Amino acid sequence: MPKVTINGKSIDVEAGTSVIKAAQLLNIPIAHYCWHEGLSVAGACRMCLVEVEKNPKLQIACNLPVTDGMVVHTENEKVKDAVKWSLDFHLINHPLDCPICDQAGECKLQDYYMNYGLYNPEMAERKQKKNKAVSLGDRVVLDQERCILCSRCVRFTNEVTKTYELGIFNRGDRSVLSTFENRPLNNNYSVNTVDICPVGALTSKDFRFKQRVWFLKDFESVCNGCSTGCNVKVSYNNNGVFRLRPKVNKEVNGFWMCDEGRDVYKFVNKEYRLDQVVENKVKGKPMALALQEIGQKIKGQNLAVVVTGQYTVEEYDAFFELFAGKLKNVKFYHWMGNEENFESFDGILLRGDKNPNTQGLLKSMKKHGIKAGNWKDFESAVVKKEMQMTVVAAPENQKAYPEMKSRMKTFENAGEVIWLSSCSSEDFNNFKWQIPMKSYLEKTGTFVNFKGIEQKIKANVKIIPDAVDLVQLSAALGESIGVMR
Amino acid sequence: MSVVKRPSQKSKWYIPGILTGLKITMKHMLFNLTHRKEMMTINYPEEKYQYSDRFKGNHILTVKKDGSIRCTACMLCATYCPAECISITAAEHDDPTVEKFPISYEIDILRCVFCGFCEEACPVDAIRMGPEHQTAAIAGERFIYDITRLAYRPENKGGVLSKVDDEERHRRGL
Repeated sequence: MPKVTINGKSIDVEAGTSVIKAAQLLNIPIAHYCWHEGLSVAGACRMCLVEVEKNPKLQIACNLPVTDGMVVHTENEKVKDAVKWSLDFHLINHPLDCPICDQAGECKLQDYYMNYGLYNPEMAERKQKKNKAVSLGDRVVLDQERCILCSRCVRFTNEVTKTYELGIFNRGDRSVLSTFENRPLNNNYSVNTVDICPVGALTSKDFRFKQRVWFLKDFESVCNGCSTGCNVKVSYNNNGVFRLRPKVNKEVNGFWMCDEGRDVYKFVNKEYRLDQVVENKVKGKPMALALQEIGQKIKGQNLAVVVTGQYTVEEYDAFFELFAGKLKNVKFYHWMGNEENFESFDGILLRGDKNPNTQGLLKSMKKHGIKAGNWKDFESAVVKKEMQMTVVAAPENQKAYPEMKSRMKTFENAGEVIWLSSCSSEDFNNFKWQIPMKSYLEKTGTFVNFKGIEQKIKANVKIIPDAVDLVQLSAALGESIGVMR
Repeated sequence: MSVVKRPSQKSKWYIPGILTGLKITMKHMLFNLTHRKEMMTINYPEEKYQYSDRFKGNHILTVKKDGSIRCTACMLCATYCPAECISITAAEHDDPTVEKFPISYEIDILRCVFCGFCEEACPVDAIRMGPEHQTAAIAGERFIYDITRLAYRPENKGGVLSKVDDEERHRRGL
């Protein structure tokens, strides 16, 4: 294993590792635009110049493999000067758009200008004018003037999605990023190009002009869009949740997430939520009172419990402890959702199983000795009128359940329905009870993904103060029924 | 136990003190009646004091040459505002050269501390502190100034022109 010394710190790395990667392992920052850990090396931006001892010229750290005994300096005057004038070249044609640019605040041009630049821009020539606000596809907007031609997005479409939509056209300072004719950037991973864009050239249509990034705070969570369980960074402030971005986790999602997963913050926000208990279409009964009433009704009835894979393991345990452990005459049904394409997989991340915790649900059912029926069993049970009451732990992500609307009829015939849901919809108005549940960003628990990897999520926002999770609900019901302390 | 001290005999000599006070009042009154122009006070609200143009009073949103609003909704004023009285909602403009503009721009003038930081933070001379200072109103909602009030109120005479012109900047190749 070759040993490399960077700024006086030594590390043993595997042969073939680049200097920039070794520096990353040592937590030494090296300025870069075009290099990305998940993509091939381009060596286009010339920002990662470092000084290697016994080498007369500066070298780019991203394309320089480590050799044994290499001594590298990244912070001396020679390197800083070189980076400064590299940056100057990048900024020659860059417009002064920061006030209206969504990237401002997390822009690498701004960061490096403050770290390395601080020069007086002395160009006498005029800036090249290019097209602004070019729509590349359904989700991405390009500003050709802001682009620094690092080619990260081009490599992303070539190497990760293999859809080859983007290219760099023309030569010299007239080079522009663009799509090919009649081939818009519409693959299901297109917004990743926005994330990896180090400047504000590519912006997301969904997030565009919604918030300045410095008004947002980030926390980490797990996407509940499908059973892959991608790690995400959630940006939020007092007005709600605004975007999801992938967090690097090489075991689960690598560096990316899909566009479908970018939308799973929407149903968390206030305007889509059920905020109060609804009893017979009337809002406003206090939660504690409603649960007490339900608990007294449930006692001794024939119950059907329909569960979906959208809740955490801890919630299932508490829920089944009550309904399977303490109550009799209960039948369980597993509503899988998206059953037609349940096993499908797009080859990168997105799976047909649109529940984040199907594995956790199955595990928990096994633990409590539950044999759950499927949807057809539930339908036939409804026809036979086997149940007097039905408890439905409904999915929060309704988009993942395309069959939802057509199945409302079945539920309406299933006796008295207690609909546990975080979302509000007119479809649910025929149910006797609607109980507001917490969304996945508001509760603490565990999701088990398709591989069986357990991932913790933590409560970080509070959007509906009245909402409960299944743990609180089971405790309150148990108390009311009189089977729990 | 509290002891109440009775006023002594001496303090009954208050009449000379009152007369001294009255003398001062009368002196000023007679002076003001005979020298109206040198009076320290004005008859508000019939008379109004004219502050200098540089007085930092109520905000003005400036306009471009075509009369549309200059603000680009960059939110720097809202970020910098120590009283957090500015709320802006940005939107996408149909014209690609404009790109971003405020669909609503509201200043809660009762929260404003008139520090002038918004004016200082603005990169495009879109917000200024104007010379007006009278903010009295009866209804509460009159204190939340929107775009119509900030940019196009009658005192602005059709809008104050911004000094920073995008077209000019583009022509110079900036």
